[in-house]
Amino acid sequence: MTATALVRRPGAFATAGVLRTVDHKDIGIMYVLLGIAFLAIGGLEALLLRVQLATPGEQVLDPSTYDQLFTMHGITMIFLVAIPMLIGFANYVVPLQIGAEDVAFPRLNALSFWLTLFGGVLLYLSFVAGGAPDAGWFAYAPLTEPAHAVGTGMDWYIFGLAVSGAGSIIGAINLAVTILLMRCPGMVMGRAPMFTWMVLITSILIIGAYPMLTSALVMLLVDRQLGGRFFDPAGGGNATLWQHLFWSFGHPEVYIVVLPAFGMISEIVPVFSGKPLFGYRFVAASGIAIGFLSFGVWAHHMFAVGLGDAENAFFSGTSMLIAVPTGVKIFNWLATMWRGRIRLAMPMVFAIGFIATFVIGGLTGVSLAVVPIDLYTTDSYYVVGHLHYVLFGGTMMAVFAGLYYWFPKVTGRLLGHGLGLVHFWFTLIGLTLAFLPMHLLGIEGMPRRVWTYPPGMGWDWPNLVSTIGSFLIAAGAIALAANVWRSLRAGERAGDDPWDAFTLEWSTPSPPPSQNFDTIPRVRGPRPLWDRKNPDRMDPQ
Amino acid sequence: MASSLEPIVVLSLVVGVIAAVIFAGVLVALIVFTVRYRDVRAGSAPQIHGHRALEIAWTGVPLLLLAIIFVLSLVTLGQIGQGATFGSLEPPLHVDVIGHQWWFEFRYAGGAVTANELHVPVGVPIELDLSSADVIHDLWVPELGAKSDVVPGQRNVMRLFTARAGTFSGECAEFCGLEHAWMRVLVVAEPRADFDRWLAAQGAPASGAAGRGLEIVGSAVCSSCHVVQGQVAGTPIGPDLTHVGSRTIIAGGVLANTADALRAWIADPQRYKPGALMPKVPLSSADLDAVVAYLRSLK
Repeated sequence: MTATALVRRPGAFATAGVLRTVDHKDIGIMYVLLGIAFLAIGGLEALLLRVQLATPGEQVLDPSTYDQLFTMHGITMIFLVAIPMLIGFANYVVPLQIGAEDVAFPRLNALSFWLTLFGGVLLYLSFVAGGAPDAGWFAYAPLTEPAHAVGTGMDWYIFGLAVSGAGSIIGAINLAVTILLMRCPGMVMGRAPMFTWMVLITSILIIGAYPMLTSALVMLLVDRQLGGRFFDPAGGGNATLWQHLFWSFGHPEVYIVVLPAFGMISEIVPVFSGKPLFGYRFVAASGIAIGFLSFGVWAHHMFAVGLGDAENAFFSGTSMLIAVPTGVKIFNWLATMWRGRIRLAMPMVFAIGFIATFVIGGLTGVSLAVVPIDLYTTDSYYVVGHLHYVLFGGTMMAVFAGLYYWFPKVTGRLLGHGLGLVHFWFTLIGLTLAFLPMHLLGIEGMPRRVWTYPPGMGWDWPNLVSTIGSFLIAAGAIALAANVWRSLRAGERAGDDPWDAFTLEWSTPSPPPSQNFDTIPRVRGPRPLWDRKNPDRMDPQ
Repeated sequence: MASSLEPIVVLSLVVGVIAAVIFAGVLVALIVFTVRYRDVRAGSAPQIHGHRALEIAWTGVPLLLLAIIFVLSLVTLGQIGQGATFGSLEPPLHVDVIGHQWWFEFRYAGGAVTANELHVPVGVPIELDLSSADVIHDLWVPELGAKSDVVPGQRNVMRLFTARAGTFSGECAEFCGLEHAWMRVLVVAEPRADFDRWLAAQGAPASGAAGRGLEIVGSAVCSSCHVVQGQVAGTPIGPDLTHVGSRTIIAGGVLANTADALRAWIADPQRYKPGALMPKVPLSSADLDAVVAYLRSLK
């Protein structure tokens, strides 16, 4: 079954074709659809949380339900939305960008998708099996030890994350091998598109980081089901060992879901500025630097744990360092726009929105690397604001940019500009109202992960504003859904290259044929389509 | 120094100004470039591939700024970290803090024990020895600055300070289960003489009114979890009740310590704090009144 059939005949999902497909384009689409389905679920969970927190002493949710929902919201958005969306985009786009026919291991590719889906199903089965996990996505021991978590929620957590994590590891190996071995003639790594570069680094991070999570999960399983004591201080275990293991996965994970977003922005900003990516080598190298550093910053989640001043100073320094390559990327995007010919099509609108909001998340991130400031703000709503600026203002804005950018390639039709602008402004205003007041709440002393709060603390109006913002984001999402629906039925035909773009995926029909290219492309620079369209102004070799 | 919060505020202002300048710069560039170069004539964009000196500049300058922030943060850490005196010559006051699901216990040298309420003298460094009876908690009093996790199997030490008398609201900041939200504390900072008087009174054995109330509290129904020093030799699982009548809040801050609220709490704890470890105890209305009267007499 080809991608063409999948898109033109959605009914095909009901047939066995979708179960059998090993085409990277089909699997990419399935990943993104999986991410969108869970985005709707995780978004509804967020709305329920925000309703409960809209006013002090609200009784819409009881504490048990609240804890299950905030835990599942976090798990869903990280493991079942951000990861599948980004792996989905990578799956669809990377083989096309590098001029390959498919990924290196098509059947493993299908396996990794089905494992991710199965992991998600396991996690959500917990709701009907007596209660979802309720100790946060971070699941700090010893709260997760059998003495304190008596239901089966944590066991579903262990199996769900281990299974979907296995899917991610397999997917990452597949993508890394594809990028390293299947580039078309002439495409040395120094000419690979920046999205491909970032997917390669992300894949290596997944391969390095996810086994840490799997190990921690297995240790927790031993504690819970076999009477182990890894994380139980009463039995000689260590309460903070879990945090070290979890965050040594969890912080690379932040870059795993941010680097591909950087890659998307690094594709879109040059195309819509009519210029090559400024400082290509520096943007790629800064990605590598972020990748290395990301394994050495985990304890900045643990400054208040009591590690000691020397350990805290070390991790403070490494965490601050990571701001440097991140800044290099932002400055290079701005320099790419400088003296460009800027076209404000929807992908570029979202990319500009991304830069503005992500900078806020990046700068508050630096403040959290400063130990004394972190000792005040950690575990407060300030951190909730920060992480949503990074993951929503960053990753999701970039995913939206990528969606508007590659949707015409996938479906052959453009998304509408008017509804796109409605989506953009609801999203930007919504996220500002939802997440900016959270910083203030944290500074005013509101702790995270509380199911309710007392009145008279100065927390009332920022919480109400935040709740209103969350509903604006939801309204924006509805505009996006309407846009997709309308475009699939009667959208403007895109043609092969609607954006006058630079990379190989735009040299083949939209949607591409199942073998991707009729003849294997041959490239001589980082912008093969630019070279083809501007033989008089080709990029220097 | 006014309080242990002050050095953090100063550092935050420095970092905040630097961050604001960078954000403003990026935003201005973003807007100016978008407006200035929007839809300019086709083919007019020069194909610039990069600029080595610029790359070095925007790598080097942030590195320098971060180095300055890093050094300043170490200086601040010295002002609030272990052994900090906050400019006070007084020897520190030690208090043992024990985190429980979902309330804080404070133990003073000399035997005084309180729950949910930490009294401190002004102008004296307070050294808190933090430990946990169950899971990880975290004690945070925002107006006094830093927080510290309260980790089972580990003793953390945190120093706080205030030169100003007042009542400061605090809480558990680490997710610790169902009623993490209602694990709040009050910090009462008072002049040394007032504090010493308070401490002496709290250290004395209970002198609650004898009668039906004491009889019920002394029975297994209450004493299997609560102690009233000098009157009820119970098991210390829940808050020590020796001077419960002198406290401002009960049940981790979910209710004020009034006669009506106390009565309502004992009658049905789960109504106010669902998940709390205190069960609903079947008491007749008269017995409930007697228990409340007795507890109120424990000043």
